[in-house]
Amino acid sequence: MRSPRPPFVWLLDKECRELVVSRSWWVLLIAMPPLVGVAFISAVRTYAEVSGLNGTSAGVGEALSPLIGVWAPAFSACELAAVFLLPFVAIRLVAGDRQSGALKLELQQGLSPLARIAAKALVLLAGWLVAMLPPLSAILLWRLYGGSVYAPELATLTAGHMLNAGLTIALAAAMSALTEHPSTAAILTLGVTVGTWILNFIGAVQGGFWERAAGYTPAAMVAEYQHGLLRLDTTLVALVLILAGLTVAAVWTRLGVQVRRRVYESLGIGALAAAGIFACTFLNASWDTSQSRGNSFPEADERALARIHTPLIVEVHLAPEDPRRVDLEHRALSKLRRVMPHLQVRYVSATSIGLFEQTGAGYGEIWYDLGGRRTMSRVTTAEGVLETIYSLAGIAPPVENDDEAFRGAPLAAPPKGAGTIFYGVWPGVILASGLLVRRRFK
Amino acid sequence: MLFEVHGLCKRFGEIRALEDVSFHVRAGEVLGLIGPNGAGKSTLFECLAGVLPCDSGTLRAQGQPVGTGGRRSLLFYVPDGIAPWPAQPVGWALDFTIGFLGGRAALREQVIDQLDLRALLPQPIGTLSKGQRKRALLGIGLLTSQPALLIDEPFEGLDLRQARDIASALRSHAGRGRTLFLSIHQIADAARFCDRFVLLSSGRVCGEGTVPELAALAAARGAAQAGPDLEEVFLALT
Repeated sequence: MRSPRPPFVWLLDKECRELVVSRSWWVLLIAMPPLVGVAFISAVRTYAEVSGLNGTSAGVGEALSPLIGVWAPAFSACELAAVFLLPFVAIRLVAGDRQSGALKLELQQGLSPLARIAAKALVLLAGWLVAMLPPLSAILLWRLYGGSVYAPELATLTAGHMLNAGLTIALAAAMSALTEHPSTAAILTLGVTVGTWILNFIGAVQGGFWERAAGYTPAAMVAEYQHGLLRLDTTLVALVLILAGLTVAAVWTRLGVQVRRRVYESLGIGALAAAGIFACTFLNASWDTSQSRGNSFPEADERALARIHTPLIVEVHLAPEDPRRVDLEHRALSKLRRVMPHLQVRYVSATSIGLFEQTGAGYGEIWYDLGGRRTMSRVTTAEGVLETIYSLAGIAPPVENDDEAFRGAPLAAPPKGAGTIFYGVWPGVILASGLLVRRRFK
Repeated sequence: MLFEVHGLCKRFGEIRALEDVSFHVRAGEVLGLIGPNGAGKSTLFECLAGVLPCDSGTLRAQGQPVGTGGRRSLLFYVPDGIAPWPAQPVGWALDFTIGFLGGRAALREQVIDQLDLRALLPQPIGTLSKGQRKRALLGIGLLTSQPALLIDEPFEGLDLRQARDIASALRSHAGRGRTLFLSIHQIADAARFCDRFVLLSSGRVCGEGTVPELAALAAARGAAQAGPDLEEVFLALT
């Protein structure tokens, strides 16, 4: 009599068992609470001080958002773990079957290699979710202190870290399948991660295409989610990369297939993924889920800007590493792109740092062209940029609505009990669970 | 006939591991693949099971070519020297074989008793000795439901008593119609246990048949010294 459970469920069960006995996963679990604890305690303390604790002038914290002040640093432990610990968990789970010879038995079952890799990825994501329990428990602690919690921004932040973990898992799976030995897979996985950091660096220095490409690296993607910005293009690019990584892993996990065919299939997957990514870059939809609307102009301004249908061209004479350019991009242009999808921004500079261009008459100029009407400004603040555009469009700036403005959610409470929870309770619970599992499997 | 193999070739770079290998497998027989170390026995099994891609050659069942995908319902291959799912207990591995690999649940207890696995059921596979691991692997193979079972070195790592018990267990499964194709490098073991033989040397088939058939073949090739002993026949033909 055959088992009533479908083979895929058996596979999930097997992968769960393999994950639970994996030491690398327990190392990941035990490392998370102290990492989160350090970041959370430090963030809450600073937040409390800025909010008026210990005699600091109250009111400074009005502009503080828990997302930026507490959650982004507290969840940064996930980013560290995703780069330095999660790859080893994934490599162990994917390469283990080949190392032990189990792959030769399992592949005779006939289940598609993609389903096998999908089972591993699902279990790894579940394992990652367990590893994210300490940062998620920090939310409960924050609530107990009386802190404000805005669910959409926290959901976005969590989704960003899940996507980042998905990228790591897909990359590690592909490398494990491509290489014969897990140590080689680990080196290559970390190599690709370092490669994305180099891309970020080149993007910051060179600007242009590199800057655009750097916007799709995991680090850049997580940074956006940390600010509560949910962009359709970056999300889809991440999903395409995850799918491509897992498919390449499936191609190279198959047995009995000539290497040449696998190479062609991998190249095909690479080409499809590249086309998919290219197509995704044309999608402009994005959602600002932050309570502070930190990624958007005030609603009145957005309504006013939406009425301008003439294409706007902005020519910025600032070097990539000039702080004014960074200010302009983050405070104004990134917000403007969300409201005016047809906005064209051209950066013009002869050098990367701009130090020796300062003497040039045109350096620092920002030219605005709205349907042939041109004006120049050197202001890089959001207010200055909006004022210039309104003036060029010939529309009156909207009246500021104080009720709409985010007043912040200050909290002058010390991180009471957080040390006990993150340095004592969580490690204790994880150690006890580890011992129980070990006893069960021995 | 269960299946026949024709013109199988496999190269690793410049090395010809298998060269025009052809033979046939009858339903319900115990067929021994005999050859010295490095003859290409494991490579042949891996090519047949679709674990390794072969360069050319076909496998036919009922006159029809069977692709790699189709072989999954025809044969199951148990490799030598592997320790699958090392952290999982033997009992779980047998259940996984039944559940995931579509094994026969009705045979579970019988296989456990035949291979003396009961005491090993709670032990993780990675902690087993070589012989214990071999028995666990044989248990996995015997539980599968394909008509043909290919086992690479079934007696490797077993002591004399265990080898005899295992041989008896394998024979009982063959008696119920299961076709066993066993790769054995110890010719004396093979001679005691198998019905027919495929002799493999340096990737080539040197002969196929029962001991008398092989002896006749050796005689026909002018090897006057070949007697009814498989070792002598093997030496004469290779």
